[in-house]
Amino acid sequence: MNPPNKSTALSADLNNFIYGVAKRSPQNAPELTKIGLTLLKNFPAARDAVLEYFAMVFHDAVNASINQIEYAADVSTHSSLECVNMIGAELGGLGQSWAPFIAPWCINLIMDIATKKSNVPNTTLQSTDPVRVLLDVTTQNLTLLNPEERAKCIDMMLGSWACSWAVGWVGRAEPALVAPRALALGADAARAVLAHLAGHAPARPHIRAALLQLFHEGIEEDSRSEKKREVIPYLLNLASRSDVVLKALTQDIEETLTDEVVERVRAICAASRGAGGAWEGVGPAQLVALLARSHARCLLLLLRHAHSDRTCRQLLEYLLQKLEYESLFPDKTIPLLNSVAEEIDLIREKMLTGNQLEQYSLARILILVCNNLPSEFVNTISYFLQYSRNDTTLALLVRIVSGTISMHIPNDSTDINMDTERYQNLIKTGVEYALRDAMISDTQIKRIFIEDNVPKDQKTYLHYYCLNIIKLLRWENSNQVSHLRSRPFGRAVEASLYAVGGALQQYAGLLRPRPPATCAALPDMPTCHALAHVLDRVDMSGTKAPQPSVEVILKVVQATVKYFFRCLHEKDIMDKLRGVQTACRLLRKLCLHSKLARAIALRELLETAMFREEHAFGSRTSATTSTSISASARDSGDDLLIYLNQKHGPITQLTQSHTSVFHAGIIGKGVRKQNGGGNDGIPPILSTNNELLMGALMSCMDGNSGVVEGATSLSLLLVELVSPDVMYNGLPWPDEDFTKQVSIERELYMRAVLEGCSVSRAALRRAASARPALCLASALLRAVAATLLHRLRAHLATDRHSQSPELARERVALSELLATMTLGQLLPHPLCHMLELAPELTASETVQVLRDCLWNYTRDHVPSPALFTCDSTGLHWRDPSTCKPPATYTDTLRLIIQKRISTLGHLYPIMFLNLEKEVQ
Amino acid sequence: MSLSDIKHSLKKYEFPVSAKEALIRIEQILVGRAGTSNKQVDGAIEIISEFVFCETDRRSGRRSGGLTPLQQLQLIDIICDYLSSCTNESTKNTVFLSLFGGMESQRRLKILSILASMAVSASSTSVLLAVGVWLQQMGCSSPQSLQLVENVIRDHFYLNTSNQMTLKALATTAPQFVSNFITAVTELYLHDVQGVNKLPPKNLLEVITSWVYSNPTLCMSAQLNPAALSNGAIPMAAVTPLAGLIHWCALAPLYIETDSEMVEVAVPFKKIKIEGEKEQSIVKNYVNKSLTESELYIKLHLGVLHSLRAGRRTHGPPTAVNAQHLAGLVPLVQAYAHQLLQRGVKLHTDDKLQDCLDRIGQSVQVALANGCVYGNINNLLTLLDTLPENRLLRIIIKTHQQAI
Repeated sequence: MNPPNKSTALSADLNNFIYGVAKRSPQNAPELTKIGLTLLKNFPAARDAVLEYFAMVFHDAVNASINQIEYAADVSTHSSLECVNMIGAELGGLGQSWAPFIAPWCINLIMDIATKKSNVPNTTLQSTDPVRVLLDVTTQNLTLLNPEERAKCIDMMLGSWACSWAVGWVGRAEPALVAPRALALGADAARAVLAHLAGHAPARPHIRAALLQLFHEGIEEDSRSEKKREVIPYLLNLASRSDVVLKALTQDIEETLTDEVVERVRAICAASRGAGGAWEGVGPAQLVALLARSHARCLLLLLRHAHSDRTCRQLLEYLLQKLEYESLFPDKTIPLLNSVAEEIDLIREKMLTGNQLEQYSLARILILVCNNLPSEFVNTISYFLQYSRNDTTLALLVRIVSGTISMHIPNDSTDINMDTERYQNLIKTGVEYALRDAMISDTQIKRIFIEDNVPKDQKTYLHYYCLNIIKLLRWENSNQVSHLRSRPFGRAVEASLYAVGGALQQYAGLLRPRPPATCAALPDMPTCHALAHVLDRVDMSGTKAPQPSVEVILKVVQATVKYFFRCLHEKDIMDKLRGVQTACRLLRKLCLHSKLARAIALRELLETAMFREEHAFGSRTSATTSTSISASARDSGDDLLIYLNQKHGPITQLTQSHTSVFHAGIIGKGVRKQNGGGNDGIPPILSTNNELLMGALMSCMDGNSGVVEGATSLSLLLVELVSPDVMYNGLPWPDEDFTKQVSIERELYMRAVLEGCSVSRAALRRAASARPALCLASALLRAVAATLLHRLRAHLATDRHSQSPELARERVALSELLATMTLGQLLPHPLCHMLELAPELTASETVQVLRDCLWNYTRDHVPSPALFTCDSTGLHWRDPSTCKPPATYTDTLRLIIQKRISTLGHLYPIMFLNLEKEVQ
Repeated sequence: MSLSDIKHSLKKYEFPVSAKEALIRIEQILVGRAGTSNKQVDGAIEIISEFVFCETDRRSGRRSGGLTPLQQLQLIDIICDYLSSCTNESTKNTVFLSLFGGMESQRRLKILSILASMAVSASSTSVLLAVGVWLQQMGCSSPQSLQLVENVIRDHFYLNTSNQMTLKALATTAPQFVSNFITAVTELYLHDVQGVNKLPPKNLLEVITSWVYSNPTLCMSAQLNPAALSNGAIPMAAVTPLAGLIHWCALAPLYIETDSEMVEVAVPFKKIKIEGEKEQSIVKNYVNKSLTESELYIKLHLGVLHSLRAGRRTHGPPTAVNAQHLAGLVPLVQAYAHQLLQRGVKLHTDDKLQDCLDRIGQSVQVALANGCVYGNINNLLTLLDTLPENRLLRIIIKTHQQAI
């Protein structure tokens, strides 16, 4: 049995502690702390003393760590912090029965420390380790207490002015308990507590709940005392001092201030108007200051009520003026404006749907926001351009833009240019964003399509955008809107031509993806028309704005050409013509100042018309027909010539032998049909589409020397597109034999192409009329002439009397060739009458005439632009008087006419008599 | 040496030392010469107030704060030292009672509570005995005593739950203190105060059971060893805890819920309560401590019966149990029976009630048979007769009424 021993051991601890504390020093602190902790466990009665000692330790540690922030750490700080951690760990884990002692001790200690260190900033104090440990211990023990004790402890803390931060901190464990109690305090104290409490996110709902409860109690119908009514001024007062309160109150303000509540508040305010006291602190000035710090939703609420309530309207006006004034200070941030910037979507939506007062007020706000935040300026422009559906909203946009630009500009400012330049860039970005977003919106699945209640006149988003832009441009051009004098939107669109062109190109493209239930599934053409209209309204000449760059020109030209061809397919003739006209106007505008544009436009137009859109022009290509026919022939199996000709049995067929008979026909088309194919005819030049295309081509070469230049490049293009290779495309005509031996195949090919493609023939004619452009297409003419010679000669050999369709076709081709060459002044005076002569001639005569008069003449007189002189008016032409063909070329003609003077006699004087006179 | 001289010499010392010196002087004043005058006693009280407890300022102004907890601890240490070193039992008690005897000072009572609690912690026999004497002199059921006992219980059965062995050993080292302590404890628990019945915590019950069960003479020790007091002091009669314990044992079946066993276990709570932890600790408790609460009461009952047998006095009137005290049980049991009737339960089939009546019968029989009961026994028997029907009780009442 050893109780004495044990008791002495315990007493020794006690003695050590007592005398250790009496001679306290940093060195023995950890030792003493350890003893203290064992004492706490074994001698619960000594707890008061031990806790007092611990309080000293905490004080020391707080001192040390505050100084540590300022100076380097030393040993004593270290040891005191160590002690504190030791104590913290122990006290936190003592359990429920200890909590009633520990918690008040903690709270007293916190209050003590806070009071003593009230000169130290709260944040510093809070971040020191000992205080953190202490707060942790407090929180842990508070949670272990029963509700009454806890409430008592919290009241204890709330009583002290210096430790509101501690309340806030500790209150995080029990926000539901702290928040209402804090509100019962004066505004200042409540503010401090709530500010700290709100640092802890889960506590915020409780703050809000407490505030709302207070508010609702305050406005209750049966609240007896007038004292309760003062809740409103109190809350307003509190809110004006505390952001936390303001935020909590204004969060979801629509739910708080429902219409009934507002009615009630109005009644109360009316009753207590002029009551003085607390109400005096909440005049309009204070309210406006509050509003300026509040959330955007408050503004919306105010707007809603301003419609019906005069006070609200006055407040609104006051607020707007204040905001406008405050915004003049560049480095001032106004929370309301920030909030508006955050909720900008809501505001913009309201702008579209709201009543007039709302619209105008919000426009004023937006001007301020846009002025602060260029990105919002851009977004606002973009939003309005996309979603505005009427003039009012567009006008608001104009107002916002001009207001934003001119807000900061004093009249004598020198950097006005720089600033407007910057804003112009922003506007341009906005226009571009809107375009991009509209295009994206078009590809998004929209509810109305899924629910299948698409309005009849549903347009694509891009279409709406275009309509808005067109309207703005029209306003600008009308010169009646002073805000638009500087043509901000026109310039913006001009600067973003590339994007617009791209959009047109995309929408005019047939291969655009068209996901169902999106606007992309709507017909394209209205959008394309609108886009073209936008382009049409824009100045591209470079007179008012910098010349568009090469890429832009390329893009727009390509887009326009695409659009042009889409228009050709329009069903409605008016739409078609209008569209084509727009396209032509565009092309003219583009080509007028840019040779590049002209080149690219011509090439695009011709290429597309000849190779991609040939069906629109009634053209047929040998390739497609042959493949289609061969395909059908292959179906029937043995219709092909090669099979038919192989069916003659096993006899070995010798060449040149008379024993073999071959089926006649065209390879790939089977046996020749007796009556000729219906579709073998040459497509006519004169068709609507062809004329429209020619019109487009001509509009590319507007201007003084434009026609000749354009026609020249047109000729060159034709050669390039028709001729299969680069050889023999020169101007000179070789000897006829040469063609027979060397180039007849390619000439046949070129002939086939030309014949199949009415566009090229029509284009040749246009080129012919713009002398001397036709010279450059000499290769084509040569090809036609050579094939004509060849084929006619062939007919001569086989059946001279036949009126076969082939022969008829050759004749048509001949007259076309003659007409073209005559038009191009390649055949001077007497020769030009071959055109009239040709139908009357027999095949052999035709061959003769062709060879002697046409081929030989042209061979000897190379059709080159050098033959054409430029006169004083700039017109190129070949003077007939100087280029009389020598007799060698005309004799054949003369002889034929003389021989058939009975039928052709009327031509003789026209062709020859004048010549004779002159010769004589 | 006159009073003022003593004061003057004490003023030379700072607080802890001054208290130490003062204690020596007080002893000298109170015990040193035979026949202390009232004036000397007053002087001693003044010195105590000024130099021991520092209640008045050196310059006789009221001190605002009194002692800080640390100073209290120092003072307690000094008092402990003094009491331990004091060889004369009566001197010790005299000084102790003059230090803490005053009824009025809450501050001193607090210091005394701490002192007592520390003495329990440290198993400091001499101090505990002094405290025992103090309890007896103040009366075990006086508010001051109850407050002190409550403090000790809180310190040792709630805050510090790891010292059961030390506590159990107290029964042999300081039986007088333990006896008085139990008497006061029985006043605290299972006393119907405005319809609220506080049950003693289980660890307290365990310790008391262990004390009573292992030392049958414990309950009588306060009476068997009268306190040594100074000449002329009036010793107060010691009240044994037996009557209170009989109360406990008899009422226990009525108030302990049979299924409350599992809940009543005092679990030392952890920092964070995790769901399911409770069950775990119950299982552990159940394994470690084989006795449930109701079993503890049965054991305690047996211990009480043993103690009653040991309480027989060979000479002199019986002093162990007051008949009136026992009679206090009757209204409580009757109220319970009334409740049962209201609920329509037949009284002789209710096990709890019968258990309670059996225990009353057993206790009364053993007490009467051993001649431990003083007071109006007849009255007690008459009252017991009004209790609901119970065979054992009937026999006992009959037997003893015939004897009288």
